[in-house]
Amino acid sequence: MTELILTLPRIRPRRLMLWLVVGLSLVSLLAFFVFYRNGLNLAYNDARSHLDIGRRVVEGLKPGIAQLGSVWLPLTHVLMVPTVWNDFMWHSGLSGSLQSMLGFVFTGILIYAYLKKLNVGLFGRLAGVSVFVLNLNVLYLQSTPMTELPLLFTMTAGCYFLLAWLQSDRLLDLALAAFLIMLSTLIRYDGWFLLLTSSALVGFCSFRSRGYRVAEGAVVLFATLAGFGVALWFLWNQLIFGDALYFVFGPFSAWAQQAGLEAAGVLATKGHLLFSAKIYLYAVAYTSGALTLVFGLLGALIFWADRTKAPTSRLATTTLFTPLLFNVFALFLGHSVLFVQGLSGNSLFNIRYGVMLMPTLAIFIGYLVHRLTRLRSVIIGSLLLVAFFAFANQDAVTIDDARVGSSQKNVTEVSGWLAQNAKDQPGFVLISAASHDAIIFSSGLPMKKFIHEGTGAYWESATNLPDRWARWIIMRTYDDHDLTWKFVSRSPGFTRYDLVGSFPFADIYQLQSRYLPELQTEPVLKQFK
Amino acid sequence: MRSTILLIAFTALILSLSLRGNLGNPSPADMNTSRWRDDGPFELSPERGRFALLYSLLEDRSLTFSLPVARFVTPDLGYINDRYVSLFAPGVSFLVVPGYLVGKMFQLAQVGTYAVVALFALFNLLLIRAISLKLGASRSAAVLAGIIFLFATPAFAYSVSLYQHHFSTFLILMSVYLLLVPSGILILAAVFFLIAASVPLDYPNLFLMAPIGIYALGRLVSVRQKTAALHIRIDRTKFITLIFATLPLVFFFWFNFRSYGHPLQFSGTVRSVKVIDASGLPALPANPSEHEAQAFASGDYSPRKSALDFFNSRNLLGGFITHVFSPDRGILVFTPVLLFGILGIILAYRASHPIYPVLVGVLVVNLVLYSLWGDPWGGWAFGSRYLIPGYAVLSIFLSIFLSRSRLTRLGLLVFFLTAVFSVAVNTLGAVTTNRNPPRVEILELERVSGLPQKYTFARNWDFLTANLSKSVVYQTFASAYINSVQYYFLVTTVILVPVAWSTWYLAKRRHD
Repeated sequence: MTELILTLPRIRPRRLMLWLVVGLSLVSLLAFFVFYRNGLNLAYNDARSHLDIGRRVVEGLKPGIAQLGSVWLPLTHVLMVPTVWNDFMWHSGLSGSLQSMLGFVFTGILIYAYLKKLNVGLFGRLAGVSVFVLNLNVLYLQSTPMTELPLLFTMTAGCYFLLAWLQSDRLLDLALAAFLIMLSTLIRYDGWFLLLTSSALVGFCSFRSRGYRVAEGAVVLFATLAGFGVALWFLWNQLIFGDALYFVFGPFSAWAQQAGLEAAGVLATKGHLLFSAKIYLYAVAYTSGALTLVFGLLGALIFWADRTKAPTSRLATTTLFTPLLFNVFALFLGHSVLFVQGLSGNSLFNIRYGVMLMPTLAIFIGYLVHRLTRLRSVIIGSLLLVAFFAFANQDAVTIDDARVGSSQKNVTEVSGWLAQNAKDQPGFVLISAASHDAIIFSSGLPMKKFIHEGTGAYWESATNLPDRWARWIIMRTYDDHDLTWKFVSRSPGFTRYDLVGSFPFADIYQLQSRYLPELQTEPVLKQFK
Repeated sequence: MRSTILLIAFTALILSLSLRGNLGNPSPADMNTSRWRDDGPFELSPERGRFALLYSLLEDRSLTFSLPVARFVTPDLGYINDRYVSLFAPGVSFLVVPGYLVGKMFQLAQVGTYAVVALFALFNLLLIRAISLKLGASRSAAVLAGIIFLFATPAFAYSVSLYQHHFSTFLILMSVYLLLVPSGILILAAVFFLIAASVPLDYPNLFLMAPIGIYALGRLVSVRQKTAALHIRIDRTKFITLIFATLPLVFFFWFNFRSYGHPLQFSGTVRSVKVIDASGLPALPANPSEHEAQAFASGDYSPRKSALDFFNSRNLLGGFITHVFSPDRGILVFTPVLLFGILGIILAYRASHPIYPVLVGVLVVNLVLYSLWGDPWGGWAFGSRYLIPGYAVLSIFLSIFLSRSRLTRLGLLVFFLTAVFSVAVNTLGAVTTNRNPPRVEILELERVSGLPQKYTFARNWDFLTANLSKSVVYQTFASAYINSVQYYFLVTTVILVPVAWSTWYLAKRRHD
């Protein structure tokens, strides 16, 4: 018999947290590096659009805060501003990916902290974090300039501080919860639903423990701060677009897009609650993993049935399921669209929404591992088995959605043509950013080369008199959803253009050379609004 | 002892009545006739592939196939270095050698071969009974668990044909049993040997055996934490037992080297040939897919394969639904009696037996692994054949449930009725055929045949009512006296006698 004695250093909790941050950061950097090297971090069409929105604030024919637009909520674009001016940060995607990576690291920390608040032991806490970290879809999305990871961080953090408030009754925790939920409401509309459910939770718990008066005060205090971002967004829409509900009913809103899909007969979830739930649960199973979903739900059921846990704690954890309710209702009401291959058509679209339940499932799996000590090895072993095959086969549904699903847009032909023919030539490119932001990004040309909807007087002039302003026009011929086509095709100057390229997503028109002397090639309208 | 002999005799009788086959020693020319292929015991490619390797080994003294044998194996035929080879792991073909040789002496080469599988199925029944007893189940519950496993699950249909599942299950159960007896060096050596031996039988066994392997390794190393130090004790003598794991691996690498030219070339990843042309060369199938056509044009005969490609994490949900709920393969449809085993898992959790996580681990790995599998249906098959090791584990938990639960007589009646249904369904499969297509192929099948096609056990009933059975005893002797439906009811009734008796005994003991 041989005996080895390994002396273990005493790990202080604070140092453990430091190690966790370092570990998560290294994983995050490694994942970004991998997806940056293979070019997948910008595969999502939306990823490129997010970067362009941030860039337009600092560079373009009409830079400024108004470029934040009306459809997508502004926080992630605002956070890009300090870095997106740099061409490398813009074109590598790092300007947006940085937020996702930080979101990843801090969501991992929050899972650990949340489990600690639930009195889960170290093993269960680390298991919960590992479930989150070893998900290939999470690792992919944290490498992209998409909004999922910042949203996961702010929502999980909001839920964490709500739990902390319910356990400690400290006002600071409630304020922090409100602040973080406010941030989430400025990232995606999922946060708005969390605002509603968390306000209801604050009211209900306060009423149960202290009566109506205290409940009223708590809700007002909480909702004032948590709802501040929502109020600002209404105000913004009113000030910039003249309609507080422009983001709801405007021409580029999700509502308008979904109306188009409904007309095309592909919005199958609208009005069908069970089908909406099925679609979303499949999206969760595909992104988070079916086994993760099963174990997570089992953990939640066991936790809610655990009478040793305070009822308020059990109630607080229900907020973690807000993304499930939000997405099912959004699909049911027709405000959202999600395609799962085999269930709704033969394509993928927005399947990444399923990842929103990932921290929730990780937390409850951590609890499950803690609770079912005798089956600990089975739970962890089977999850590792699935993760092994996912990594070995590079099987991530979000990558497929970004590469070949409806969320992708391969615009390399058009952008390549522009990069080759327009780069060193004077003249502007007239294009609709709402339809072709990916082309703008992928061309590698500076933003000030493009006349788009956000360029005010340039856009109005160019759509009326294209031959005076635009040397090239990029648009989908015969498609009135493309605003450039809608206006330019009706203008007399359009006859002065030759079709020089026709591609799946857009066509390229070039001004005939004899009209070049009359063309305006300098940004002379800076003084106009 | 007397009850054990009775149980063995009873099981041997049922398995003999159900064993599939034809009389005679088939030559390659015979094997390619429908009497031996579609209408006979070599109805599907897994049986053909394994029998072909056995035949080549013993009759041609070769690990590669002659042309007639290769034609027999298509469409699951391997091709490497200009030679036709097996696409299946070699273990089964080697294990059944004694059965073939003994059977050949009596003009029963195929029947003898298949009888080896039945023999291992019998061992599995006995092991389930033994393990159940070790875990504290009552005698009647342990016997019932064994019978339920073998005759009330799709394990029955695969105990009378040539598949790997009963061998794999045997290795798992034997390892678990050995880990339940007092620990010794020889015991550990045997466990490591069995774990390694499972790989040449069926590659995914590596994963199925992992919970057992990890548990066994725990016997070599013990870790204890004392304040700020970790004490790791390694038993050097026991460590040597790991050497025994190398023996089956040496055989495995030797086989791969001789067959495919490289010790680490696995059979499943060899290029496959679906069709052989008149000159004996690989040919393109009639309606090739784009992938197949491209691969063929480039000089390969099929798209490249990797061992890991077969498992895909995105298949998990669909695969799980197929294995558990689907009408063509689901546990709920083919063997609902095992649902009581799930209740046994919950009951056993409280008992805290050290082997408990190992058993649950095997079950979960089995279910997860084959849910990840690209073809969870197992091709044309009867029930979910991949879950046979899982059925064995669930049967053990069933014995625990029957022993420890406070089931009322009504509850036992529900159990009995579920058992009767499960026995009836699986006997139907055993005495007829495993050629049940998955539901996903039905539309195409109906288009080609121009007939409505069934994909549940109703297809077996149609087979039976056409007065057909693949049982060698029925075809050779019984068909002269009774029709196949009467034969089926006879076998089912005989199986139900001990099931009814054990259930009655459980009810009586509870009442007393």
